[in-house]
Formats: sequence, structure tokens, C-alpha cells
Amino acid sequence: MSLLVNPLATTCVKDVHGGRRSRSGLLSTSVKTRISAVYTKEDKNPTWAAFDFKRYMVKKADSVNKALEAVVQMKEPLKIHESMRYSLLAGGKRVRPMLCIAACELVGGEESTAMPAACAVEMIHTMSLMHDDLPCMDNDDLRRGKPTNHKVFGEDVAVLAGDALLSLAFEHVAVATRGSAPERILRALGELAKSIGAEGLVAGQVVDICSEGMAEVGLDHLEFIHLHKTAALLQGSVVMGAILGGAKEEEVERLRKFAKCIGLMFQVVDDILDVTKSSHELGKTAGKDLVADKTTYPKLLGVQKSKEFADDLNREAQEQLLHFDSHKAAPLIAIANYIAYRNN
Amino acid sequence: MRSMNLVDAWVQNLSIFKQPCPSKSLVGFIHHPRFEPVFLKSRRRISSHGVSAVLTGEEARVSTQRDDAPFNFNAYVVEKANHVNKALDDAVAVRNPPMIHDAMRYSLLAGGKRVRPMLCIAACEIVGGPQSAAIPAACAVEMIHTMSLIHDDLPCMDNDDLRRGKPTNHKVFGEDVAVLAGDALLAFAFEFMATATTGVAPERILAAVGELAKAIGTEGLVAGQVVDLNCTGDANVGLDTLEFIHIHKTAALLEASVVLGAILGGGSSDQIEKLRTFARKIGLLFQVVDDILDVTKSSEELGKTAGKDLAVDKTTYPKLLGLDKAVEFAEKLNEEAKAQLAGFDPSKAAPLTALADYIAHRQN
Repeated sequence: MSLLVNPLATTCVKDVHGGRRSRSGLLSTSVKTRISAVYTKEDKNPTWAAFDFKRYMVKKADSVNKALEAVVQMKEPLKIHESMRYSLLAGGKRVRPMLCIAACELVGGEESTAMPAACAVEMIHTMSLMHDDLPCMDNDDLRRGKPTNHKVFGEDVAVLAGDALLSLAFEHVAVATRGSAPERILRALGELAKSIGAEGLVAGQVVDICSEGMAEVGLDHLEFIHLHKTAALLQGSVVMGAILGGAKEEEVERLRKFAKCIGLMFQVVDDILDVTKSSHELGKTAGKDLVADKTTYPKLLGVQKSKEFADDLNREAQEQLLHFDSHKAAPLIAIANYIAYRNN
Repeated sequence: MRSMNLVDAWVQNLSIFKQPCPSKSLVGFIHHPRFEPVFLKSRRRISSHGVSAVLTGEEARVSTQRDDAPFNFNAYVVEKANHVNKALDDAVAVRNPPMIHDAMRYSLLAGGKRVRPMLCIAACEIVGGPQSAAIPAACAVEMIHTMSLIHDDLPCMDNDDLRRGKPTNHKVFGEDVAVLAGDALLAFAFEFMATATTGVAPERILAAVGELAKAIGTEGLVAGQVVDLNCTGDANVGLDTLEFIHIHKTAALLEASVVLGAILGGGSSDQIEKLRTFARKIGLLFQVVDDILDVTKSSEELGKTAGKDLAVDKTTYPKLLGLDKAVEFAEKLNEEAKAQLAGFDPSKAAPLTALADYIAHRQN
């Protein structure tokens, strides 16, 4: 199973100054990559090296896939359900669901409690990609090597299927969550909605759109886009899991910060890899950002300072986890390190 | 797309929104010069020409059983619309990034009769709940109604340049922003309802969220839109399909509006189900009366070309049942709708009773 994914999947990159940023790659792939060694002698933290991250990821992805399959079954009207399933069950690493479940378990909750929420974040991630691919947005014909939803089902159905996935996400959490008090489920729903709306995911997408053709995109601007377009839903996933798992306030806030750091870190590492690795290693065209003169962290800070920034973010992320049981925190630590040290 | 948004067609015909009620002066925004009674396409295009004044001072009042203070439907509708407009304006304030909030507000605050919010509030009050408990949900249903219109208008869907006489969202902000504004409104509807509802037990708010989400998904609004898309250009659509489209595209959100109000107002399961049935009946009643009017009224009275359905050989209730039976059916639906309200306090039931009667007896 291709766990390590091509960070810059073939989603559209409108590579002009400050052009549209592609949808981040840990999180969407269309190209299989070689799996590079996750556990090497250079692993910084012996504790997490003992944790079988690969196995953990596979196991969680399996559970999530089964659950998704059950939630979006084929029924009338057939076309819309087919369209929803086409994108939702297209494969994917299920990183967001995994974060949701890991956060829930970290604070003492059960996977089963978080599962509806885990499915919901994946539905929402999927619908945002479906809408992103539309001709009026990124206009992508391929995603993960397959034709995009609107190419198969038509734009109208793709728009509606996205809307349907969005509402199903909320419905599913509201009606299917067990083992958590109603107040918590409501709070989780509020967090989810906030992370994807006009102050979350959508905000990032809109600013990205507005940045097209801008001559100079500053660091603040770049960070805004990343924090909203990528980190917001990651945060939503983690925070939902924490709330449903029974976390205390401080715990929720620590995990929120954790997610924000790894979300941003992901983008920084992405940028660094584009500059430093060869095409072969990356599995895609390296130096693409430079050629396109896109605003990136190395461009703004230089490669060295970007690496330092990524390290700082990783440290800050993991600091949040120090307050938790280290055994239970292992999955999240592993994810953070994976993002930081990946080679492609 | 063969759109059948009957509520908007009805609202368009609701003459209190078109001309001054002879004995009342309505608040300014109802007669805002921008307001133009052309909503979503119904099966027939309905123009605003020559609309006769249906709602006179008398008709605006529906007597309650007690008959002590005739209920003023006009005033009720206006009052609720005002309240909801203010709440919507406050809820979707302009924040960063301004463009998306502007796009959301553009469509949301474009004027609209706020029928669904009104139903939500009325249902909340009929079961004894305070209006305040229903306001976030009332706003949520309007946000969802709005987002479905924004997406419906897109070039890949109905491809409309105008809505209510104004350029559609994507014409002003671009298609990409319009898609996102719709998504954002959908998300915010749930956020607002989940976080801003006060004075209601969390279990009830949760049940309401589930109900709303269900009503707009693939067993509700979206289902209707998808089947409608499939039927585009097909003149020989069976009654079953027509009803499916109508029930899902139009009635589902109406039903949800009512049920949400009932849940949040503290209604018992029995009461909630009665109100659900009420909503279904009036939803269908719209449709039947629409069909009847097309056959029976002259062009002038209707303000549009009468007999259009017959001319294009569309499947309609009069066509299938005969005119007399169709009229009987409409009356029956009205009675059945009102029967659901029998167990409630008549003064609290007055708005919904008035609504059912209005739908049944409208002349255009």
C-alpha cells in the first residue's frame, strides 16, 4: 500500500506569482510513489520508532474505508450515489480520519465513538476536492490518476454530489455518534462546520483565488492560505476527535495547536522538497515551483531558514503532546515525524 | 432543468408582497423597488402582470375559533420576515476574507419572503416554544434555501443570469466564488444552528441538525434536483416522477422547516409527526392548486398565459383526475392539513391555519 504519497499530486497548480496552490499532497495523490524508509537509523525518537506506524495507518484506513462504504451505499437516485462513492471510495490515505481517531483515543475515547466524525471529515475533504476540480475552479481532468468526478458524471451532478456529501457529513455525526454526550457532539459539529466554512477551508480557497496573478505574495498571505486551505480541516479532525473522546478544554486547545503546526509544516516541507530533491526521488517534476516562480517558503526565507522553520513547527507540535500519555500519543508523534522527515 | 420550486411560485403569488394591502401599510422592504416577483422557475413562468388583488383587508384576517381577535396573516408574515432578516444580517457579518462574505450576503440578503423561516417559527410557537429558540434554525433553513439557489443558477445547472431581477451570484462574483459561497452557507447553516441555539436541550438541537441534514441530502433536496436534471426536456414525465421531484426539491425543506421548529419548541413526538404531516399536505396542496389555476383562470387574472400546461400537454392533476376531482382533492388536502392542527391551541395554530387556507384559496 502506498503510504507515502507524492506530495504534489497532479492537482492543478496555477504556477504564476502567488498562483493557486495545489491541494496538498499528504492528503491527495494521483501518483503512486516509492515507499521510502520511514524507520531508519536516523530516527530521532527511539520511542516512536518502536511504534508500528505503518501498521497503525493501514489498520485505521481499513476501518475507515469499511465505515465509509457502509455510510454511502448505492440507492436511488443511483447517479448521485454513484458519483458520491466514486470520489469518496477512490482510495486515499485517510489521514484526516486517522487524526480524528488518534485524537479521540489519546484522551481516552474509543475509536467507535470517533468513527462517524472520522467519516465526516473524509466526506468533507472529498467534496472539497470535487468542487475544487470543477472547470470553474482548478479545472482538473485527473485526480489520483482517474478522471475527476465531473468528467465522469457531469458538472451538475458533481456539484450536487459535493453538496450531498457535505450534508451527509453533518447528518452522520448527528445521528450515528455513540458514546459521547449530546453537548459534545454538538460542539464537535460546530467545530467541524467552522473549520470548513468562510473562516476555514473556504476562506483559504477564496484567498488563493484572489492571489492569482498577484506579483508579490508575502509570508503572512502565504500562511493564511495554508492555515485555512490545509490546516483548518486537519484541526477540525483532531479537535472533533478530542471533544468526542471527552477531552478537557486545555487538551482540546493543545491538540488544536498540534494540528495547526503539522498542517503548516506539511506545506513548508512540501516547498522544501520541491527545491531540494531530484525529480526521480520525488516522483514528480522537481523545481516546478521555481520555474513557475510561485511564492514558496524557500523563496521567501531561503532553504536553510525554511528547514529551521519546519523543525520549529515539528517541535512545537510535539510539545503539545508532552502533556499526554506518551504511549497513547505515539500515533500523533509518528504522524508529525513522518510529515517532517519524509523524502517525497 | 425542469424546476419546480412551488414555494417560490406561491410566494410570488402572495399578493401581500406585491401590492399594498388596502387597509395596512407594509414595511418598506417588502415593496423595495428591487423586489420583483420572479423566483425560481416553476413549471410555468409566472409574470407579474395584471395580478388581481387577492389578499384584501378581509382575507388577510382568518378567524380563530375563539373569534375574539381575528388573526392578521399579513402582519404576522411581515413581522417574522423582519425578525429573520435582522438575524441573518447579524449572523453573516462581513469578516475576513470579505469577498466570500460579500458573496454570501449578496444572495442571502437579496430579499425573499422568508417562508421557510416563518414556518419554522410558527411550528415552534404552536408547540409552545419561544420564537428565540427557533431563530437560529429559521436562519439555517434560509441559508440552505439560498445556497441551493446559488448552485442551481450556475452555468452547469440552470444557467440563470438573473434572480429576483438581480444578476445571479456567479455573474457578480464569478462561478468559483459562487460555488464556494454556497458551500460556505451550507456549512454555516449547521454551525449557526449548533452553536447559537439557546434554551433548548442539546439532544433536541442534535435531532434538529440530523433532520435538517437529512432533508437536504440524497433523500431530500439533492435527490429532487438530480431527478429533475434527468427529466429535462422530457415532456412525458409520469405523475410519480413529478411528485418525486416536487416532494424532494420543494417539500422536503418545507417539511424540515416545520419539523425543526417543532423539535426546538419542545414538541412531543406525536406533535412533531402531526406537524410533519401538515407540512407534507400543504406542500402537495401548492402543487395541486397551481395546476387547477392554470386550467381555470384567465390569463389576465393569473397574470400569465393560462392553459399553458394543457397546451404543452404536461402531466397535471386536472389532466389526470379531471378538474372537479382535482378541486376536491385540493379541498381534501386543505382539510387534512388543518386536521393536523386540531389538537393545538387555536390561537397558536392560527398562523399555520391561515397559511393552509391561503394556499388553498388563492386566486393566482
